[in-house]
Amino acid sequence: MKRLAWLILAAVACGDNIAAVGPAPLRRLSNLEYRYALADLFPTVAVELPPLPADTAVAGFENEVQAQQPSDLRIARFEEVAVLYASAATKDDAAVRLLTGCASWTTPSEAAACGAQFVRTMGAKLFRRPLTVDEEDRLLRKLTAWSMSVDFAGAVQLSLSAMLQAPQFLYRPEPQLALDGSVGAIAPVEPYAMASRLSFFLWESVPDDELLAAAARGELQTVASIREQATRMLADPRAARLIWDFHRQWLALDRILNDEHDYRTPEIDDAWTANTKKSMLRESQLFVENSFLRVGSFADLLSSRTAWVNADMARIYGVPAPATADAWTETDLPAEQRAGLLTRAAFLAGTSHRGGTSPPVRGNAIMLHMLCRLPAPPPPDADLSMPVQDPRIGPQTNRELFADRTATPACQQCHRALNGIGFGFENYNAAGRFVTQEHGLTIDAASRLFGTDVDGAFAGAIEFSEAMQRSREVYNCASQQWLRYALGRAATDDEAGLIGELTDQFMTSKGDIRQLLLAIVTANTFRMRTVGVAP
Amino acid sequence: MNRRQLLKALGLGALAGISPLTARRFLATAGNAAPPTRIVFFVTAHGHTPKSWNMPFANAPIDQFIDRPLLPMARAEFSEMLRPLHPYRDRLLVTEGLANVVNLHNIGEAMRTGGDINNHSIAVAGLLTGNVVQQNVGVPCTGGARSIDQELAIRTGAPGRFGSRVYGFDYSAVAGVSPFSFLGPGQASPKVADPLVAFRDLMGLYVPPPTGEPPSREQVLSGLRPSVLDAVAREYDFLAPQLDAAGKQRLEQHRDFVRDLELSLGAGASATCDPRFVPTGDRITQFMDIIKLAFACDLTRVVTFVAPVPECTEFGYPADATVHRYAHRSIAGGSTCGAMYEPEAERAMADLGVWYANHFAYLLEQLDSVVEGNGTMLDHTAVVWLTELATPTHYHHDAFAVIAGGGNGKVKTGRYVRYPRTDGSPLAGYANVGPAHNRLLLSLMRVMGQSDDTFGLSSVRSAAGNVISLQGALPELLR
Repeated sequence: MKRLAWLILAAVACGDNIAAVGPAPLRRLSNLEYRYALADLFPTVAVELPPLPADTAVAGFENEVQAQQPSDLRIARFEEVAVLYASAATKDDAAVRLLTGCASWTTPSEAAACGAQFVRTMGAKLFRRPLTVDEEDRLLRKLTAWSMSVDFAGAVQLSLSAMLQAPQFLYRPEPQLALDGSVGAIAPVEPYAMASRLSFFLWESVPDDELLAAAARGELQTVASIREQATRMLADPRAARLIWDFHRQWLALDRILNDEHDYRTPEIDDAWTANTKKSMLRESQLFVENSFLRVGSFADLLSSRTAWVNADMARIYGVPAPATADAWTETDLPAEQRAGLLTRAAFLAGTSHRGGTSPPVRGNAIMLHMLCRLPAPPPPDADLSMPVQDPRIGPQTNRELFADRTATPACQQCHRALNGIGFGFENYNAAGRFVTQEHGLTIDAASRLFGTDVDGAFAGAIEFSEAMQRSREVYNCASQQWLRYALGRAATDDEAGLIGELTDQFMTSKGDIRQLLLAIVTANTFRMRTVGVAP
Repeated sequence: MNRRQLLKALGLGALAGISPLTARRFLATAGNAAPPTRIVFFVTAHGHTPKSWNMPFANAPIDQFIDRPLLPMARAEFSEMLRPLHPYRDRLLVTEGLANVVNLHNIGEAMRTGGDINNHSIAVAGLLTGNVVQQNVGVPCTGGARSIDQELAIRTGAPGRFGSRVYGFDYSAVAGVSPFSFLGPGQASPKVADPLVAFRDLMGLYVPPPTGEPPSREQVLSGLRPSVLDAVAREYDFLAPQLDAAGKQRLEQHRDFVRDLELSLGAGASATCDPRFVPTGDRITQFMDIIKLAFACDLTRVVTFVAPVPECTEFGYPADATVHRYAHRSIAGGSTCGAMYEPEAERAMADLGVWYANHFAYLLEQLDSVVEGNGTMLDHTAVVWLTELATPTHYHHDAFAVIAGGGNGKVKTGRYVRYPRTDGSPLAGYANVGPAHNRLLLSLMRVMGQSDDTFGLSSVRSAAGNVISLQGALPELLR
């Protein structure tokens, strides 16, 4: 065994990827993963779910292991959802037939055979691997007993409810125990666990039959095998979930849903409704998903003018509205006004206030999310109110007001960079509409980047987005965040080398997201684990 | 002991329309006391077809003794009838091939003296007595001696605890046939056929019958949510030790919330003595719950339960069919009384067997849910499944029996034992038969801590005039 462990170590050191293998803590399904898993497992079951307690976002991400401590409310909700799903999935004989795959359970022998088949097949789907003999025994005992207390369909219902609450479904336990002498060695993640690692990352859901079949064949143990499956998975529509959810969380796009965005003052947008913010998020989602399906590059996300708009969004963007009010149609946004996510309404309005824009807030969002830099907080005595026009001075642009407010040297320590970014976005008002004038004054959106690897002058957000596409810092930040989302945890110091390598590949490929994801899932830290011991 | 001594039972008011009541003092074993040994005689009618019961072992000729471990066997390798018991195989002892030699003896005697020779009445009278029957002129014969359950009731009874409980239904295969359990010759044991009455007996107080409708299916399902949570919590218990320290801790936290929720929904499934009874499931299922309650509260240690012969619709067959008619036609080449073999009848009897097996499994699950000593109540109980006839075609040899549960360490569980036909038969025209059923009864006396050498008759003579000994426990069954 020691010899084998050494061979594994040697193989790792000579592999394509940086060798570090970080910790692999027990992960629970995030709310997103839980909902997608239920939807994928029970495509014919329509259930209105009670609200789940929100996942605690860490660094913006909702799948962080360290924040997944159970609570009484969550466990009660899991039970409620399990009861609802199990009940709906067995609502009549046709539903039970569909769920169990059995033609009949009229006689006791038919019911016994059907029960065993149900436990085995549904168990394998929910637990993402064949059941152990003991698991099958335990579930069958319960199913038989419950069929005596109610009836066969009722027992199927209760068994499904139990399986939906079992740790094998709600968590992602991985075989990790050491064989003698191998503790501390690193070894490929067991095939079924690897199937789940891939599917919960790339699809935010359970593995499909093909992936489980690959695991059953003992595959998913080599870079080549993982690459083959991951390539297939990235071509599947389910991958779009990942792409959207990642970018939504990374760039905090859903901050547009905050209460403060229920309203805009009439001067900003006189047709704003409570639904406008939802349309904005939806527009971002359609853009991100379709950009991935058609192009799949980070560069496209920062440069494309293709958009899907409904009437509300067409109004915001100043393009022709779809024929019907609720329809979403593809269109090209005006060339001089829009390019990519940073020039779209969800980001622009989400980083504004209801009565006006805040260049420092926009700057801060870019710093934090795109450059992975945490700005220092304002000093305690800083005036954080929105600056307003002073009638004695006469009309000023928003930019001038903020420049005055943050003019002191103390402020400028941070605001030089924050304003430098934010002023470049002043052609987009607090509703995300493109404007060139305010208070009769021409808006100046020429600005300058400070303290980055792409410092220098730029004219407006389109040029700014181009600068972002040249910045290694940005690719580094993206790689870091992608890895974090993949692992459900922050990278360790040992994984810094991997991030560097991912960054290089990401830049070289001009932001090819598929290539980046393939590099992540074939990295040792994703496909291997340290052999542990039982506590 | 004052049987009417009162104890407040917890939370009864909310359940099944039962008013808040005070009830019998429970003698449940306190703290560290060693769990007592209990026994259940679970009796069903009409035997089993060999095809549905026999394990199809490869390379094991039917005339050879075998003793095989059950644990390594897959579910599919189990016979159809025993498959519902597969998850309990580590605590299962299955036998095949015993013969109720005393029945054959009694038939021979009746033929000689002109008494009742009906296979049903002879078998019912002999199953638990292992003794000569009492012949009464012009009516079916009846038990001629105290049955094993009542013998054990006397020996294991104590003040304040029922010696035994006899539950269940009339043997409806043939009208007028006597019951299985006897206080003494011709004295049938009093029997309770209504689960709610059985519950009131245990509580020691009259409880007004519940008013209103019985619970709806939705209510029953909802009432089982704590049972589901119990099963869920156990999965966390099983998985947690396989993880690293942090993962283990997280699953244990989760498990604790599941247990909290289970309690808040109104039940703690593994309470040792939970004096509540909610009638759910059919009449057999309800009695299984009563047995669990009686044992868990140590209100008795011996129960005899006679299952009803169901209507055929209860196990998925036509309303105009009858079990007895199916029984006669269920074995190819072995049908009796002029009946012709019908494959449909064989299938029906197999399904009836699975139907009984499901109920039997339900009882095992209930007993196994009560944590006790270093194991569960099932470990300290012998649940014995017997049938009065060996086969549906009314034979008395090649019989089947199951002993489930560890019997407090006395039963050699996890095995399948086949006894070949080695002994002569008291009845002319019969081939050789397997060891005597009396030796199984004696083995059960041993499980219950009794050291007798004989139970029932000690010997009979074969048709050829040889002495057939009915003495000695069966060593294959006991540790």
